[in-house]
Amino acid sequence: MLRSLFAFKYRLLFPLLLVIALILGYPLAYSFWVSLHDYRLTAIAQARWVGLEQYFTILAQNASFWNALRNTVIFVGVAVGLELGLGLWLALLLHRKTTLFRNFFRSALLVPMFVTPIAVGLMFRFLLNSQLGVVPAVLRAFGIEVDWFSARNALLTLALIDVWQWTPFMVLLLLAGLESLPEEPFEAAKVDGASSLQTFWHLTLPMLRPTIMAAVIIRMLDAFKVYEYVYAITRGGPGESTETIQYHIYRVGFLYFRLGEASAMSYVLIAVILVLVIMLFYALRRESLAQR
Amino acid sequence: MKAVRLLSLLAVGMLLMSCAAPPTPRTSPAQPAAPAASVTLTIVMEQVPDYDIVAKLTQQFEAEHPNIKIAFDAMPYDAMRDKILTSFLAPSATYDVIIVDNPWMDEFARAGFLLPLDDYIAKTPDYDFGDFVGPLREIGVVDGKVYGVPYYNYALGLIVRQDLFDNPDYQAKFQQAFSKPLTIPATLEDYVEVGKFFKAQGVFGAAMQPQRGYKIFEEWKNWLYAAGGNLIGEDGSVIIDNAAGQRALEMYIDMHRSAAPPNSLNWGFDEALRSMASGESATMLSYNWMLPTLNKPDGPAGTLAGKFALYEAPGGKAVLGAWHWAIPKNTANADAAWTYIAWLTSKSVDKQRVIAGGAPTRVSVMQDPEVWEKGFGRQYYETVLRILEDAEPLARGARAEEIINEVGTELNSAVAGEKSVAEALKAAAEKTRAILARP
Repeated sequence: MLRSLFAFKYRLLFPLLLVIALILGYPLAYSFWVSLHDYRLTAIAQARWVGLEQYFTILAQNASFWNALRNTVIFVGVAVGLELGLGLWLALLLHRKTTLFRNFFRSALLVPMFVTPIAVGLMFRFLLNSQLGVVPAVLRAFGIEVDWFSARNALLTLALIDVWQWTPFMVLLLLAGLESLPEEPFEAAKVDGASSLQTFWHLTLPMLRPTIMAAVIIRMLDAFKVYEYVYAITRGGPGESTETIQYHIYRVGFLYFRLGEASAMSYVLIAVILVLVIMLFYALRRESLAQR
Repeated sequence: MKAVRLLSLLAVGMLLMSCAAPPTPRTSPAQPAAPAASVTLTIVMEQVPDYDIVAKLTQQFEAEHPNIKIAFDAMPYDAMRDKILTSFLAPSATYDVIIVDNPWMDEFARAGFLLPLDDYIAKTPDYDFGDFVGPLREIGVVDGKVYGVPYYNYALGLIVRQDLFDNPDYQAKFQQAFSKPLTIPATLEDYVEVGKFFKAQGVFGAAMQPQRGYKIFEEWKNWLYAAGGNLIGEDGSVIIDNAAGQRALEMYIDMHRSAAPPNSLNWGFDEALRSMASGESATMLSYNWMLPTLNKPDGPAGTLAGKFALYEAPGGKAVLGAWHWAIPKNTANADAAWTYIAWLTSKSVDKQRVIAGGAPTRVSVMQDPEVWEKGFGRQYYETVLRILEDAEPLARGARAEEIINEVGTELNSAVAGEKSVAEALKAAAEKTRAILARP
């Protein structure tokens, strides 16, 4: 048994396992250790064991944490939902051979993805600024006054900024999915006289579903990490209306230096994301089994 | 095979080590090196106009002290706290001299990160530490020891468009409407009244800064003082949610809703300044040293330059913010660091700094006719001195940063209409009590 464990093929895995242990295992183990302590960066020498106390406090008493989690879920739902709808529509347009300049649009659409999110945040902070911004100025010319960063609109505004930046990513994945679909079912549908809507609903969408699921999972995981737009534009305000979970953890860990509590929050977040990912993978697997 | 075992053992060992006690920072003071040897001091600074003045003066210091070279690491405010803390926790300091913001002073001093400066001050001839304005000086004193000497102040005052207050047409209309002359507001009631009056004339009454966290806390605390309230009472209990606090927040919200520019819920310092400089607003509560900036002929106010004036905040008592020079305990160049700080904050160099436009900290400098003449005039410095003498720090204590942000979040929620005044103040008081109760 031991001999087979050290067989050549397994030995080849050791360097990779070592690297993973160092770059992933060490920080994870260390942050878990920190999460079980009252660990403040301004008083490291007085760090004391508190066990799961911080986890209980976060789950049972920390209203700000739950509010931040709620904001994040709303942000992810709105942003990824819009990105999927818009991305699918654009991908279908770009997939049609009759679309003019489709190669140009395919390249041009990717541009927002190349800009770093913090720069996108700063850019929109000025574009939407009520004093300097071009967007409010243009809207004002038509008699429309929108407070983009009011308590009611701010979270939606951040989601729209995310949509501007990451819809191209959705387009890219869905377009690749569309181009890999077999042509025969579509030709058969055409011969049978199916309308465009029927073809889309009964052929394109079911066959594209695995790609859609993969794209949604990737975007969801990324959107859960939203921090840059919040930091650059609203700092979580007005009130706590745009405080996302990553920004909340940053605030506790790096503004107040309470690293123990911030680590515990991170582990709660990991658990929430893991549950979501497992659910999505389960749905994806059921889908692929059903297709067989 | 042996190599594989070794690597596996190493990996397991490292994982186990990660679960062991974390490294503790070196808290014992390093022995200061003699400044006679050539040293380079690294100094962290905030990238603001006051830094440019200090950087220019430092050339003079380097010429006078050929053995001490200065390297500045200037950065935006947001990056400073993390970097300074990292330097404190490092085995050897990245920074030999730091600047400490008002809310960080007690936290850093009580954590044992700063070197007490009492002995240095006592041994420096003609330093005259007592010459710094009292409330400013006191911010650098923690548990009876001096950990910081003032660099510059950011006390708040009321900046107004004097030409609007002097306008005979407005004066007549105000007299007719309120049966009293249009004067600089001395109370909160006067301020809200004047704000609404100007709004009715087509000029916004106040460019406010209700941005969540630091900004609204800093601005609103002036309103709180004017209403006779405070965050912490004299007995150490949290009193922000008492009747004075309620009145201050109700009036602040009234002013914001009825006299401030629209869509300004997220406004901070920059937006309020732009509003004043563009002539959109008649007043703002802001840093006293914004007056020279607004009145500068080639400054942001353009043709409005010269029309602004500074007064004490309504109620008289102002919120005091200040930056202090301090020496990290883990620097190896403490003596040289003090040589630099003592030189820069000495009476003669401080006078040069203030004449060049730096925010004043010393009484003698603010009363110096040469400073009045070469700087921004007697009236300005006398007003600043009055503001500083009747000012109270933004917040004190080892948890000041957290309290400011948490209370500032609740205040902003009330202005946004997400919470009522009573709910927001109750939540702010409860959060403050919880923060103070932590071990």
